[in-house]
Amino acid sequence: MSLSEVAVVFLLVVGVFVELACCLGVLLMDDAYDKLHYLGPAAIAGPLAIAGAVFVRHGFSEAGIKAFLTAALLILASPVLSHATARALYIRRRDHIEPRPRVRR
Amino acid sequence: MNAWLVAATVLLVGLVPCGAVIVRGRIVEALVGLQMAGILQTVVLLLLAEGYHRPAFFDLALVLALLSLAGGLVFARMLERWV
Repeated sequence: MSLSEVAVVFLLVVGVFVELACCLGVLLMDDAYDKLHYLGPAAIAGPLAIAGAVFVRHGFSEAGIKAFLTAALLILASPVLSHATARALYIRRRDHIEPRPRVRR
Repeated sequence: MNAWLVAATVLLVGLVPCGAVIVRGRIVEALVGLQMAGILQTVVLLLLAEGYHRPAFFDLALVLALLSLAGGLVFARMLERWV
């Protein structure tokens, strides 16, 4: 087993472990805000490890570049989605998003 | 069956907790479960494309990542206004 194959297997194990741990976190946490925290590592560390494994195997080929593009898209989309979901939850709970008007004396 | 296909199969197990959250949780929690399932499916498609040695299949993962972003944003906007 060569060094690159060991690196591929290691990255695959890391990626799968992170994704499954985040799935369990989403299942076990009580509040939606708490569940939202587990989307971050699942969208950043997991895809990066899997794309890294593909990249170690293929290098700068069609597969490696597309895998990294997919991981980059997930990494960029994750904070946007988390923000939008948290904002929706906040508005549903508080019924407003703007600060209350200041009373002038 | 190579390591990529084994990893994809193991990752598919992660869809069970996501489905449980979608079915049993409140509506915003279901949205979080849906987003998690989208991330998981994207990674599974990456692994399947590599496992079956089909570089063209990487496009599926790329398109799913883009569409799950758009779908999540639409759902979040809808939840804060109408549902």
